[in-house]
Amino acid sequence: MKPRVLVAMSGGVDSSVAAALLREDGYNVVGVAMRLAPEPSAPVATAPVAKRRGTCCSHDDFEDARRVAERMDFPFYVIDLRADFAARVVDNFVSEYLGGRTPNPCVMCNREIKFDRLWSRARALNADYVATGHYARIEQGADARFHLLRAADDSKDQSYFLFTLGQHELSRTIFPLGAMTKTEVRARARALGLATADKPESQEICFVPDGDYASFVERRSDLAQLRPGSIIDGEGKRLADHAGVHRFTVGQRRGLGIASGERLYVREIRAESGEVVAGPREELDSSGLIANRVSLVDESIASGGELSVEVKIRYRHRAIPATMRVDSARRAEIRFAADGPAVTPGQACVFYRGEEVLGGGFIERTITAGRAT
Amino acid sequence: MPIYLDHNAGAPLRAEAAAAISRLLADGRGNPSSVHRSGQRSRRMLEAARSQVASVIGAEARQMVFTSGGTESNNLAIFGAITAASRRRKIISSEIEHSSILAPLAELWRRGFEVVRVAPDSDGRIDPARVLAALNNDTVIVTLGLANSEVGTIQDLAPLASGCGAADALFHVDAAQAVGRVPVDVAALGCDLMTLSGHKLGAPAGVGALYVRDVARIAPIVLGGPHESGMRAGTPNLLGAVAFGAATEAAMNAMREESDRIGLLAMSLLNRLRETIPGLRLNGPPIGRLPNTLNLTFPGVLGESMLIALDLEGVEVSMGSACAAGAVEPSHVLRAMGRSVADARSSLRISLGWTNTADEIDAVAATIPAVWRRVADAEPLSEVSAR
Repeated sequence: MKPRVLVAMSGGVDSSVAAALLREDGYNVVGVAMRLAPEPSAPVATAPVAKRRGTCCSHDDFEDARRVAERMDFPFYVIDLRADFAARVVDNFVSEYLGGRTPNPCVMCNREIKFDRLWSRARALNADYVATGHYARIEQGADARFHLLRAADDSKDQSYFLFTLGQHELSRTIFPLGAMTKTEVRARARALGLATADKPESQEICFVPDGDYASFVERRSDLAQLRPGSIIDGEGKRLADHAGVHRFTVGQRRGLGIASGERLYVREIRAESGEVVAGPREELDSSGLIANRVSLVDESIASGGELSVEVKIRYRHRAIPATMRVDSARRAEIRFAADGPAVTPGQACVFYRGEEVLGGGFIERTITAGRAT
Repeated sequence: MPIYLDHNAGAPLRAEAAAAISRLLADGRGNPSSVHRSGQRSRRMLEAARSQVASVIGAEARQMVFTSGGTESNNLAIFGAITAASRRRKIISSEIEHSSILAPLAELWRRGFEVVRVAPDSDGRIDPARVLAALNNDTVIVTLGLANSEVGTIQDLAPLASGCGAADALFHVDAAQAVGRVPVDVAALGCDLMTLSGHKLGAPAGVGALYVRDVARIAPIVLGGPHESGMRAGTPNLLGAVAFGAATEAAMNAMREESDRIGLLAMSLLNRLRETIPGLRLNGPPIGRLPNTLNLTFPGVLGESMLIALDLEGVEVSMGSACAAGAVEPSHVLRAMGRSVADARSSLRISLGWTNTADEIDAVAATIPAVWRRVADAEPLSEVSAR
């Protein structure tokens, strides 16, 4: 009997093809769609159509996933992880914004839901593996250690979101799409007759389908938690007032509400005082950063002291050369080889060496160019 | 073949119903309302089915209105009563009813009616005295389930008849889960209206009936032709009706033997699960319950995980009610009985039927504890998940 694999299905083309490929390989596939977002708990049929389309976790998406399961002949279930998602992803998203940071909920969802909560469910269902439609690769070396690698399709690579996976998780995870391009995935979906073959990409954060993070944070917060204050320049001069630090992200230019001769960017957010520091482009340059809650794919590499790596400080950024050092409190100091771009606290900083993901952490603060810390 | 333990959701088609359907499919034509002989033949089949269904509850054939199922019967009883009694504004029911009663009540509340929903005790029993206390001359209808679909509690409803009569309120009994499983008699209950469901006793889904003691007391909700004594317009579902009649007759003939046998199987399963699962709790009363229904709280696990894990092992049970997307919500019945959300999320309904054998119950008595141990070990119930 082939191993049983629990495949997380969103109703999109990627996870559909992932499940279908495993089924074709003879795995004992069990498809699950996770009910995560807090909103569509109300009767789905009465929600406006526009609100239901294009986000994951909607009724239509679950039906698309169900059709794939019927077509490929494997069992499929909808599971309710709303309470876990709210407590472990959404609450964190809100508190990060309130603290003046810019969170990446997809990283959190992978760490807390897909490769923790879902894995517990997999064992409860007697499954040997969890699979997803992520674009990333897992390889086992001659020394039996597992390696997390970038996807073959560089434009779709999602390894950035997966840095929290360790040896234990990788040993029981399958990414069937890691060696494929998006074009190949769509072609495969069409060849298999999957209803999801031509579905558009989902872009927004699934629980904020309209992309208005500020309003979402406000809806889920008490007024007393918001931190309104002033936008100031580097010398402390007040430039304007604002309604809350959660409306800003470091590196942001638009929406500052300042008429100024030069282009101003958010350089720093001081949540306690409500101060948002703005400055010209060159003041954003950084020479490194401090990351916390660092995890390594293979913990044995940490013993070597300083490591030469490339770091990615946002999903869509190119990796830049740097050195890193991890201390025993799971904090890492990263020094860029040359001055780097704006560092946004709250985002993930992921360490690569060539194709391989070594690990990563969450950005605590920037190390400003030209200044020692 | 999976072991099917979800008879309260829908029973497998009885052979007698399948045979009746096959006969009609092979040689059926004619609208029962038509004058020609094919029509007359269809009419005879329809009326024979009506007699079969009527006799299971001790009613007369002319008092039975065929509907599309239990949900329509409940809607016809409630909205039909409201429409006919134009001035009265109060409706009395309970917190543990089926959604086809609770949703009409919510709609009538929105329209400004006074809705009283009596709370059950911790075993799911409705105290008739509390219903009678709410009854007055403004009451249109008292609508209550005879046997609860989720926990199997059988209500003591007969004491309500005289009170309803004195207040001139209609007395409606939803007997969808009781008919065919335990003896039900409209005269003994003294009710004015009674809901029956086809697929709970072995007919296909899509057919049901409402017993109407006096057609003058309710108005139709589906308007059109003069079918079903003017109580329900639309060409009758002859295929469903003949299957319903045949299934009802078969269920009635086998009831004594079946309910004894099924009751023993269920008790045997419960005893064996109690021996192997420490802290297992039976929801509902120890006696005065449907013999086939076991609603069980499994300590330390999510019912959703148990449900899926059991399905993958070929054991089919249920939990609460499924939402539109297919996820399960904690049972409103268990919540009304005072169980916590966590306990409601840890509960499963196992409902047996005439298809189950002793061998199946032996197999299930071994599978369920093994699955429970695995789920409890792999996915212990956290505070968060149980919310």
